[in-house]
Amino acid sequence: MRRAISLYGLTFSLPLLVWQLLFFVFPLAFLVALSFWTVKNFTMRPDFDPVNWVTMFGKPVFWQAYGTTVALAASASALASVLAFPCSYAITFKLSDSARRWAIFLMVIPFFTSYLVRVYSWQIFLSDAGIVNVILGWFGLGPYSMLNTPGATMVGYMTLSLPLVILLQLFSLVFIDRTLIEAAHNMRCGRLRTVFEVVIPSARVGLVIAALFCFILTFGDFVSPVYLGGGDPTTLSILITDTTKSGQQWPRAAVIALTMIGTLLAVAFLAVRFAYAGQAKGARK
Amino acid sequence: MQRDTLVSFEGVIKRFGGFTAVQKMDFEIKKGEFLAIMGSSGCGKTTTLRMLAGLEAPSEGTIRLSGKPINHLPTWQRDTPMVWQSLALFPFLNVRENVEFALKMRGMAKAERRQRAEQWLDRMQILEFADRNVAQLSGGQRQRVALARSLVVEPEILLLDEPLSALDAALKVRMQSVLKNLQRETGITFVYVTHSQSEAFSMADRVVIMSRGVIEQIGTPQEIYGAPRTRFVADFLGSSNIFTGKVLAASQSMVEVETPDGRLALGGGNLPIPPRQGDTATLTVLDTKTHLSVSRPTGAANIVPVRVIGEEFVGATATVYLETAKGHEIRVQKSHDELAGLPLDIGQELFVHWAPTDSHLVAEA
Repeated sequence: MRRAISLYGLTFSLPLLVWQLLFFVFPLAFLVALSFWTVKNFTMRPDFDPVNWVTMFGKPVFWQAYGTTVALAASASALASVLAFPCSYAITFKLSDSARRWAIFLMVIPFFTSYLVRVYSWQIFLSDAGIVNVILGWFGLGPYSMLNTPGATMVGYMTLSLPLVILLQLFSLVFIDRTLIEAAHNMRCGRLRTVFEVVIPSARVGLVIAALFCFILTFGDFVSPVYLGGGDPTTLSILITDTTKSGQQWPRAAVIALTMIGTLLAVAFLAVRFAYAGQAKGARK
Repeated sequence: MQRDTLVSFEGVIKRFGGFTAVQKMDFEIKKGEFLAIMGSSGCGKTTTLRMLAGLEAPSEGTIRLSGKPINHLPTWQRDTPMVWQSLALFPFLNVRENVEFALKMRGMAKAERRQRAEQWLDRMQILEFADRNVAQLSGGQRQRVALARSLVVEPEILLLDEPLSALDAALKVRMQSVLKNLQRETGITFVYVTHSQSEAFSMADRVVIMSRGVIEQIGTPQEIYGAPRTRFVADFLGSSNIFTGKVLAASQSMVEVETPDGRLALGGGNLPIPPRQGDTATLTVLDTKTHLSVSRPTGAANIVPVRVIGEEFVGATATVYLETAKGHEIRVQKSHDELAGLPLDIGQELFVHWAPTDSHLVAEA
C-alpha cells in the first residue's frame, strides 16, 4: 500500500517539482504548442495547424542543414575522442598521482573564460592577417584563408568540447583494473595491442558517454558555426535564428528546435545502448 | 646448475625506493615440481613471483629460465602465464573469448584456437558455460576459467598468486585437489604463492618459507614440519614448542641446554654444527612428539612440570594447553584415546616429557 503524500515529504520534493515544471515541462509543452500556431501578416496566432511541420519537412534547405549539423557534430565527436584519448591515456597511466591531479586541474582552467571569448580569440589567430598566417609568412607560406571555413568551425567545436571529453575519458580510464592490463601483457599482448584489446573495451561506457557529450554540445552550438564558420554551411542553430528573423516564423523555428531535441534524445538513447551492449554479452542466453 | 633446473634466482634483490622487498635471494625451481612460496603478507613472496613473471624487474641479480637470463625480457615476451588473486578475467569477454585470448595473441587461426579452448574448458568441466559472461559464474567456476586461460597455451611453468583466497573453505579444499591433479597430469611446473600453511603443505612438493624478504627455509613439507630450521619458521608453523637457553654442554651426539623451564637435552642426528658451551640456543619440539603423564616419568631426559590451562578439540585429535612455572605456554597434541586416562581439569599438575631425538636446534635469526 502506498503511503499518502505527507506535508513533510512535499516540503522537500516540491521545489524540485516546481523547478521541473517551470523550466522544462512548460517550455517544452509551449514549444510543441507553438509549432502548430500560424503566422499571418507578421503576427502569430494560436492555432492547431500542422502546416509548419509540413512546410519545414518539405524544404530541401532544412534537410541540408540537418545533414550538415549531424555530420559536423558526428565528426567533432570522432575527432575529439581521437584527440582526447592519447591525452587522457597518458594522464591516467604515465603520470604520478600528484602530476595527475595537476593535469585534471589544468583541464578545468579553460572553463574559467567564456566560450564566446575563446571563440573570438580564435578569430585573431585564424583571420587572413591573423597570428597563424603571420607566423606562416615568416617561412614563406600562405596566407591561407582559414576563418569562415568548416575547419574553423571544427576548431571552435574542439575549444568547446575537448577539455570535457578528456576529463570524461580520464574518469573512466582511472577506474580500469590495472591487473587486467598486466594479465593481457602476461598473455603476450604488447603495449599498443593492449590499448585496443583491454583498455578501450574496459573504458567503453565512459568513452561513448564522452563522445555523446561532445555530440550534444556541438549539435546545438551556434557560436562556432557563426563566428568561425561564417554561417556557411548553415547549421540548424543558424537556421533557427534565420527563421525567426524572416517574417516572425517562430512556429517554424519551434519545429526545428523540436526536431533537434528529438534527434538528441534518439542519439543519446542509441549511444547509451551501444555503450552497455558489451556488458550484456552472454547475459541474454 | 642441475640438469632438471627450470628457474634459478641468482643473487636477486628487489628494492622499491628505499624499501628492500626481496633481499639477495638464491634458489632453484625444478622442472615439473609444485613449489609453494609461503609467508605472511609483505614478506616478498608476491614480489618474487612478479619478478619471475616479468611484471617487476629485479634491482640486482639474475633470473634464469631454462638456463637463459630473462631479466631484460618484458612479460609479453616470456612464457610465464600467471593466475591472479583477483583472477583478472576480462569482464568484456565471455568465457570462451577469455580462454582464447592468449592463443589469439599468438596469432593462432580461429578454428584451431576455438578447438584448443574447448579442450581446456572441457578438461576444467566448464564447457557448458563457454558462451556465458564471466560475471554470471560462481567463484569456483571463475577459478576454472582462469586456470584454463593460463594453461591453454600449455606452458612449461604456471605462476599462481593466492588464487584460492577468495573461495569458501569447502571449495578451497576441492580446488586444491583439482590443482594438484592438474599439476601431476600435465607435468607443468607450478609456482604457488600463498599465506596459507594448509594450502602449501597439502599441494606442494617443496615449500619456500619467506619472511621480510629473506628465504627462511626451503624443503619438502615433511622436512620443514619435522625440523624447522629457524625460530621464525617454528613460530610461523605454530606446531612446535620453543625453548631458549644457555648451552651447558655440547658434544657430537648430545647438547644440554639450561632453560628457565629446566635442563633440556637434544641429540641424535640433529646437530649438523654442534653449538659451543655458553652459546644461546633455541630448541623446538613438535606438539605431536610431546607426551603427558601424571607422575614424574623415570629415565626420561626432558621433563617439564606444567599445569593444564585449556583443551581444544581438533577433529581426531585434541590439543592440551599447558603452562610451566615460569608462565611459558606448551602445547601437546594427542589422539583422544591417548588422552583418555589423564585428568585434564584446569589447574591439574602434570609432566610433559619427550625424547632428546625429537628436539631440534633452530637458528635465532
